[in-house]
Amino acid sequence: MTRAERERAYRALSLARALDDRMWRLARAGRAHFAVPCSGHEAIGAGYALAMRPGVDWVAPHYRDLAAMIVLGMAPRDVMLNFFSRPSDPNAHGRQPYSHFGSRALHVLSLQGPQPNHCSHGVGCAWGSKLLGDGSVTVIAFGDGGAQKGEVHESMNVAAIHRLPCVFVVHRNGWTQSVAREDQYATETLVARAAGYGMPGIAVDGMDVEAVHAAASEATERARAGGGPTLIDAACVRFLPNTSNDDDSRYRDRAEVDALRASGDPVLRARALVGAELADAVDAESAALADDAAAWAEAQPLGDPATVADHAYA
Amino acid sequence: MPERAVRELTVIEAVREALGDEMARDERVLVLGEDVGRLGGVFRATEGLFARFGAKRVVDMPMAETVIAGVAVGLAMRGLRPVAEIQFADFIHAAMDHLVGEAAKIRWRTGGDWSCPLVLRTAYGGGFRGGPYHSQSVEAFYAHAPGLKVVAPSTPADAKGLLVAAIRDPDPVLVLEHKRTYRAIRGYVPEGDYVVPIGRAAVAREGRDATVFAYGMMLHESLAAAELLASEGIDVEVVDLRTLAPLDRETILASLAKTRRLCVVHEDTITMGLGAELCALAAEADVLDVPPVRVAMPDIPGVPVDDVLEDAVLPNRATIRDALVRLVGRERSRSSRAPSAPRAYDPAIPQASSIVEVALPAEHMRAAITALVAAASAFPRFNATFAWTGIVEHADVVVDLDLGPSAPARGLGTITLVDYGPDGSDLAIPFVRPGQTSAVRIGAVRDGRAFVACAVDHRAVDGADVGRFLAAFKAAVEEGASVHDGVVHAG
Repeated sequence: MTRAERERAYRALSLARALDDRMWRLARAGRAHFAVPCSGHEAIGAGYALAMRPGVDWVAPHYRDLAAMIVLGMAPRDVMLNFFSRPSDPNAHGRQPYSHFGSRALHVLSLQGPQPNHCSHGVGCAWGSKLLGDGSVTVIAFGDGGAQKGEVHESMNVAAIHRLPCVFVVHRNGWTQSVAREDQYATETLVARAAGYGMPGIAVDGMDVEAVHAAASEATERARAGGGPTLIDAACVRFLPNTSNDDDSRYRDRAEVDALRASGDPVLRARALVGAELADAVDAESAALADDAAAWAEAQPLGDPATVADHAYA
Repeated sequence: MPERAVRELTVIEAVREALGDEMARDERVLVLGEDVGRLGGVFRATEGLFARFGAKRVVDMPMAETVIAGVAVGLAMRGLRPVAEIQFADFIHAAMDHLVGEAAKIRWRTGGDWSCPLVLRTAYGGGFRGGPYHSQSVEAFYAHAPGLKVVAPSTPADAKGLLVAAIRDPDPVLVLEHKRTYRAIRGYVPEGDYVVPIGRAAVAREGRDATVFAYGMMLHESLAAAELLASEGIDVEVVDLRTLAPLDRETILASLAKTRRLCVVHEDTITMGLGAELCALAAEADVLDVPPVRVAMPDIPGVPVDDVLEDAVLPNRATIRDALVRLVGRERSRSSRAPSAPRAYDPAIPQASSIVEVALPAEHMRAAITALVAAASAFPRFNATFAWTGIVEHADVVVDLDLGPSAPARGLGTITLVDYGPDGSDLAIPFVRPGQTSAVRIGAVRDGRAFVACAVDHRAVDGADVGRFLAAFKAAVEEGASVHDGVVHAG
């Protein structure tokens, strides 16, 4: 990464963490309906998004890819509008809860609830790039729980058959809400699956933003050059419960999670990229941005019932 | 004048023409599905397209319906115009999540920022010994989903015009093609640019006596049934629904306003089918003189393959004819009239409450009976009994007193008064004795007040009158009414 990229990476990681922290606390305080934490996952989103060309490449994101949204240009206030589900939210207009991202301007495909249906949407998007010949690449990100669905198999197969310009990124945190890795798949990692489809696979430390960026750069360049799709298996730790409705003390040991957090926090690790002085300054800016965004978004008006059927046609 | 050549095509030829024309007109249009390439589709809907447009725009897909639909969603979100084919409608449910969960919601869930202009064509329907997995009619599942347009052409012209409209539509459209019509139905198809608007039904045959609503192969069976009945002097109107979602309410209700008799025919199973929706629509609009009939597949899990069994479960011209004979033979339960305007809310009608709180002394039996006689005299329907000839209202009020298990009512009166005294419950609904039309029960008196409840037999008494009746009873008790010419028959 260049020095500028390192600073961008840290800014995204720091801001994602600050927003995530505010959202978690606001949801727990009952001020909003639903938080979906990204803590522990930030380096994956930031890493792949920094390998994308904003406004050119496309992304069908994972719901924990707040850091990617920030890199691609989503304003903190827009994140918070999505979080508070206000009708002025440019992501989902008060119709879908956090974190259903979506922005035509930022080339973020509208994200749905059932995971990971956006896999095939991303493949269709990449196919569109090929047909339109615009040279754009689509990143498709999802969790290792979602990766067990037939949707993903069918999508990776089609992408490989047609050598579509896309990159599959698996956030491998080892948990599907409460179900441990052993009950989801029988292998340690998912990277070997790539070979089964005839595409390259890269295993990467998903808590190291530089490593993710390097893997994603290799994959996006290959896709752009007509080399087809790549599977990136990015290992990470989900620091918080699955969502604000989850209680992870029922199924995992918090002390173990805290130990992993202390040793591998992707935001803390990335401080070395910019140095402590700049990192502290960025963190202060992030805190101020997150506070402003939360206070402003919460004050935005709720929906008008007269508009509920707008954009319904049949 | 020289005779103008009328060009006739089969339904499958019309589908093929629509696909080819649209692909030539708009290079964003591409076709994807199983066997659509070199084979030209199992029904040959895409025959010739691979040679004409190449593998880039006519794409053979793996046997994976989920990703066929999902990729079409992604292509459509990027502004392409995918026309996906699901070989048999029986296989479409693997794609349902992408059709109902995604395509149908995308415009709404993004406040109009995104749209999903995909077309999904599939072959449905039975009648060719295909068995339970090659014969299903799936329309009700998909017509139920807001955000998804569903069309079901019956004629070659509509097969072309509706498919062209679907491809040009900015939102997702499911095109249901009845596989028996593909080669069995031939007809005039306009050349060149031809669009049939989505959301418009068509009167396929005009008639006076009843309206049959149908689509797909059942449209043709219904027309045949109408011809059979014409020779018997029964004049049936046949409406081709063409679009199943959104339904063309104007055409449907206009036809029913004329014939006032509804028959609906579909191969889909009867419960919660399109027929149920049409019946509900007609009932809400109050346009029927007699109960409607539905001719549909019975509620069994699949279409059986055996010749005799399949013929036994699918509607056909004979079963449709029989249903129409029954429908037209039904006596009108109401006089023929124009659809009535909806009744406006009348603030003069008191709330139809069956309970009222009344001021009563502990010793109140005489006052209560007196008040009941007064109220029953004012509302003779409450003081009536059922007879073979109908409901008989009585001039005399004969109160049947029910004072508890030791002194129950005998059922000899014209109205029952239940009062268990201080041992009774505060509030209880009385039981209307067989033969009578109403009963009143006084609850236990607390602090000089008691709840009085009235129950009625709704075959005789309208709910709104219960409120009026109890108001009269309350007024009579509290104002100390006296008996003039009522007869009291005590327990």
